[in-house]
Amino acid sequence: MSVPDYMQCAEDHQTLLVVVQPVGIVSEENFFRIYKRISSVSQISVRDSQRVLYIRYRHHYPPENNEWGDFQTHRKVVGLITITDCFSAKDWPQTFEKFHVQKEIYGSTLYDSRLFVFGLQGEIAEQPRTDVAFYPNYEDCETVEKRIEDFIESLFIVLESKRLDRATDKSGDKIPLLCVPFEKKDFVGLDTDSRHYKKRCQGRMRKHVGDLCLQAGMLQDSLVHYHMSVELLRSVNDFLWLGAALEGLCSASVIYHYPGGTAGKAGAQRVPGSSLPAEAANRHRPGAQEVLIDPGALTTNGINPDTSAEIGRAKNCLSPEDIIDKYKEAISYYSKYKNAGVIELEACVKAVRVLAIQKRSMEASEFLQNAVYINLRQQESKRKSSEAKTTKKQGFWKLSEEEKIQRYSILSELYELIGFRRKAAFFKRVAAMQCVAPSISEPGWRACYKLLLETLPGYSLSLDPKDFNKGTHRGWAAVQMRLLHELVYASRRMGNPALSVRHLSFLLQTMLDFLSDQEKKDVTQSLENYTSKCPGTMELITLPDGLTLPPVPFTKLPIVRRVKLLNLPASLRPQKMKSLLGQNVSTKSPFIYSPIIAHNRGEERNKKIDFQWVQGDVCEVQLMVYNPMPFELRVENMGLLTSGVEFESLPAALSLPAESGLYPVTLVGVPQTTGTITVNGYHTTVFGVFSDCLLDNLPGIKTSGSTVEVIPALPRLQISTSLPRSAHSLQPSSGDEISTNVSVQLYNGETQQLVIKLENIGMEPLEKLEVTSKILTTKEKLYGDFLSWKLEDALAQFPLQPGKVATVIINIKVKLDFSCQETLLQDLSDDGISVSGFPLCSPFRQVVRPRVENKPVNPPEGSKPGDSSHVKTLEAILNFKYSGGPGHAEGYYRNLSLGLHVEVEPSVFFTRVSTLPATSTRQCHLLLDVFNSMEHELTVSARNNEELILHAGECQRMAIQVDKFNFENFPESPGEKGQFANPKQLEEERQEARGLEINSKLDIREAHPSLKRTGEASVEGLLNQLVLEHLQLAPLQWDVLVDGQPCDCEAAACQVGDPVRLEVRLTNRSPRSVGPFALTVVPFQDHQNGVHNYDLHNAVSFVGSSTFYLDAVQPLGQSACLGALLFLYTGDFFLLIRVHEDSTSKELPPSWFCLPSVHVRSLEAQA
Amino acid sequence: MAVCVAVIAKENYPLYIRSVPTENELKFHYMVHTSLDVVDEKISAMGKALVDQRELYLGLLYPTEDYKVTFPNQLCSYGYVTNSRVKFVMVVDSSNTALRDNEIRSMFRKLHNSYTDVMCNPFYNPGDRIQSRWAAALLGLPPSLCSSALLKGTVLR
Repeated sequence: MSVPDYMQCAEDHQTLLVVVQPVGIVSEENFFRIYKRISSVSQISVRDSQRVLYIRYRHHYPPENNEWGDFQTHRKVVGLITITDCFSAKDWPQTFEKFHVQKEIYGSTLYDSRLFVFGLQGEIAEQPRTDVAFYPNYEDCETVEKRIEDFIESLFIVLESKRLDRATDKSGDKIPLLCVPFEKKDFVGLDTDSRHYKKRCQGRMRKHVGDLCLQAGMLQDSLVHYHMSVELLRSVNDFLWLGAALEGLCSASVIYHYPGGTAGKAGAQRVPGSSLPAEAANRHRPGAQEVLIDPGALTTNGINPDTSAEIGRAKNCLSPEDIIDKYKEAISYYSKYKNAGVIELEACVKAVRVLAIQKRSMEASEFLQNAVYINLRQQESKRKSSEAKTTKKQGFWKLSEEEKIQRYSILSELYELIGFRRKAAFFKRVAAMQCVAPSISEPGWRACYKLLLETLPGYSLSLDPKDFNKGTHRGWAAVQMRLLHELVYASRRMGNPALSVRHLSFLLQTMLDFLSDQEKKDVTQSLENYTSKCPGTMELITLPDGLTLPPVPFTKLPIVRRVKLLNLPASLRPQKMKSLLGQNVSTKSPFIYSPIIAHNRGEERNKKIDFQWVQGDVCEVQLMVYNPMPFELRVENMGLLTSGVEFESLPAALSLPAESGLYPVTLVGVPQTTGTITVNGYHTTVFGVFSDCLLDNLPGIKTSGSTVEVIPALPRLQISTSLPRSAHSLQPSSGDEISTNVSVQLYNGETQQLVIKLENIGMEPLEKLEVTSKILTTKEKLYGDFLSWKLEDALAQFPLQPGKVATVIINIKVKLDFSCQETLLQDLSDDGISVSGFPLCSPFRQVVRPRVENKPVNPPEGSKPGDSSHVKTLEAILNFKYSGGPGHAEGYYRNLSLGLHVEVEPSVFFTRVSTLPATSTRQCHLLLDVFNSMEHELTVSARNNEELILHAGECQRMAIQVDKFNFENFPESPGEKGQFANPKQLEEERQEARGLEINSKLDIREAHPSLKRTGEASVEGLLNQLVLEHLQLAPLQWDVLVDGQPCDCEAAACQVGDPVRLEVRLTNRSPRSVGPFALTVVPFQDHQNGVHNYDLHNAVSFVGSSTFYLDAVQPLGQSACLGALLFLYTGDFFLLIRVHEDSTSKELPPSWFCLPSVHVRSLEAQA
Repeated sequence: MAVCVAVIAKENYPLYIRSVPTENELKFHYMVHTSLDVVDEKISAMGKALVDQRELYLGLLYPTEDYKVTFPNQLCSYGYVTNSRVKFVMVVDSSNTALRDNEIRSMFRKLHNSYTDVMCNPFYNPGDRIQSRWAAALLGLPPSLCSSALLKGTVLR
């Protein structure tokens, strides 16, 4: 006997073996359909007795196992059912013949047999026959079960008769010696008459009867027989049969104790209501009852009349502990016989099943350990026998491999049964490896794979990568990795590359920490090889047996440490219109501020990020990634996974250097609709495997929220300027971000146009544009408008369609006061100044020192004596607020900032300013010392004046005749008085306004012929109170009329001897009345040599008084003093008019009384 | 002499495993792994016993003849469990010399002491793999490979 039945269990000892086989050509499907129906009849209560018959069906049974039928009767094939197709009566005899041939195989042991014929109809089918049943087809055969029941009853009759026959054998009769196949030759020539031999025969027969009783459902009887047999056989040292008797005893006891069966599910099926607890086993079995009720049956059976005495003892079958002891004993006896290996193995298996029920795993494992032994030994013996039978070798080896697989799987199942899942997994894996052993010509990769999958729980390995997300992996990495490698290989050989890719990616993802550098390389290499044929996907793979393999996203290739949603660049950042925002707040709550609302907002913020993205604009998410691999990692098709908003992800490809540090990666995409977008994760393609990595599943990731609002589309402007871009970046104080910087270098006073082109590069029309400017705080005093622009031209084009350009021209005008800084100006104080223009002979010349005197002498820090120190910088920001499209409707705008960096170089200095009174009281001369600080020639021109050419470093004085200014009617800037309550500030303000006025009048222009640049020179900074006073038109206007002609600058002519009318007219423009005061007219002659001759009593005489008195002149009033002069000689005379004031009018400034000197030329009287 | 030493955490994953014939390391992994079945079984069986009376030494787990093909020597695995359910498994080559139970016990005791030393290391994070070569001494490796904490445990012959 060479084929062990690993499925055997102790209860099988009470079954009758029936073989069901097809004859001729029967389709497998049909056969198993009938087989299933037949095997459903597995137990039958016989007649009206309470005995139950159990049937074991096999569709395949090796005939050589049948030879051991005498040893253990449940191995004996007692019934044969053949199933055959037969469609015509012609074939019938042939079919029937085949049935007989089939019967011959098991002929020696068969009790009865049946032939089921399908398809045959007609005459033959109508013959009533007991051994043949005819059915028209496989569907129409309701009576199959009934037939089987009848068949089994007939089996029972034979069995019962055999049992009774054996049991009632007269003790005097010669009892035949039952023996197993290999014993037969041993007993040749033995003395059959010896007592020893007889006892042996008796013992074996007892055991046989016990088997029959057990099969016939008489459990108690069988126990009795087994006990007796054990005693008999022990005395003659017939170990093989002693073992069998002990095993029989065990089996009977097991059946008694565990009516539910020991084979797991199969056993439970056998007794339908067998979820009975252990106590139920204590109830007497039907068979046992009968023994007790009908002791007469026992008296009739006696081989030995003493049996009746045994009844009491037999009632107490083996206790659970004894069962195991007896099994051990039996196995030890079996092990004495090499050829009984299968019996021993099966006994071990049975014992293990019993122990599993008893939950005695340790002992069970010992039995299994022994079973492992047997196999090895058995193989050795087989190998020897196979060497002998060389012809059979080929077939034998194949069988042996299959057997090995079967053996290892069953060992695994048994280990599983006793809860040794690791050992079970080990053997299952061995079995799997056996399936594809090199000695097998057709390796069963499919089976191997299936078995390998079954080992997964034993190695605590699940194929779901989610289970590995929690912290570091803790397990038997080396063993698990090996298993995964084997799965990969098996699935590949199976011809399922998708599976192997899945397993390989799982291996890489979960075991990354345990792979050595070389292994990492190897694994990725093979993964790339596989994916070149079958790329890895994110789909669930479902295996035919229902197991699903979840997708494996490569969250560790690369490892992502931080995810940060980026705000749009400052120039594209949408901003909410303030007014609308205010409305929103006010509708929400009547309070301006409530801590509760603020708190709620704070919570929201945790999830939602504070900025917005704009529909249609490229939005960025920054990931900090690193590559754990020892080689360069190429990540392709890396993009974002989002929800909530339609999002067009623009995938990126990156290449990370080996074992890189944290590496920033920016993923971009364009939201196509509006709403709230959530970034759920990212997708990658690494080594040809697509992965969708969700942030929720990533351990140890830092994220600052992943939800952002997407607002409707806004136009996008691109700015280009006529000026070059600047490397300078402004450091704005208010946190504005500047998109573009331009810089320009200007000479002080120069004006330059900045042409700004705004191109709408977005998809939405530009509907609104606002320009504001902000000058960054500077200490410099700036005169005039720095930046000015006109928007009308640009706005006329609105709405600006995409692709169109709007132009805005900005005027940059720089006027700075450089005077204070210049230390060199001090050196240019008095001497060596060439003066041009007016003669400097006036005694009224007043020199006004520049402001520098009021300042500390030391130069300020930044201005070292050197070239660059003179340069001053001005910085300003131009803000273009624009909006349009749907975003405008929602109240959003964008802000584009242009940084402007202006370097101002000094050009012309006015080192000194002074005034000279002109001949007219309404005019005066402004003297300016002009210094060219540049290295090239320049020209300066004031209005109505010729150009003054200044060479580099040259200083010249220029005089400009100006009309005096009437500041009184200069409008005060309205509304600002309240703000600048400080009188000092007010004064400054006023002075500035005056400066502006003077400057615009003067209109001094400079030109740089070599550079072809022009500018304006400003005197504003230089003007101080004193100069201003001189430039101011006095409120009291004196007009001297000689002979009715106003006499300002030209000499009035008169004739000698004629009285000349002299009128001094006073017009009061000041808001108050002035007076009283007196005027005295003093004539004098200027000898042009510095000598003034006042002694002119002889030459000039007054008609009337030379002194006039004025009482008061009302505001806006006029008064005149009239007199006359009589010149007695010809000559040039000057009249000096002096004012004698009263004390009351002291407060009036002297300049108010600045009367012009009158030049009169008396000529010869005409004839 | 021990050919393989393994320390297994309470949750049955290896903290330390080291074997002498390095070329067949995986086999030892399998061996120790399957031995855990028996360890589990033995622990659950003695779970009822009082803690202070518990015998830490579990005795022979497996005579592993099924490895005979790979190793000409007969190997036996022995088990030991600490009160915190950390398991020690030692695979012993018993083909040449039959080791007495007492010798195995004393080897385990030394192993236990060394493990205690490792746990005392403030830089060791319980539950992590043990990186030091402290158990190497039991495997008869040269002392240069052993950390100082283990130099006390001399090689058993």
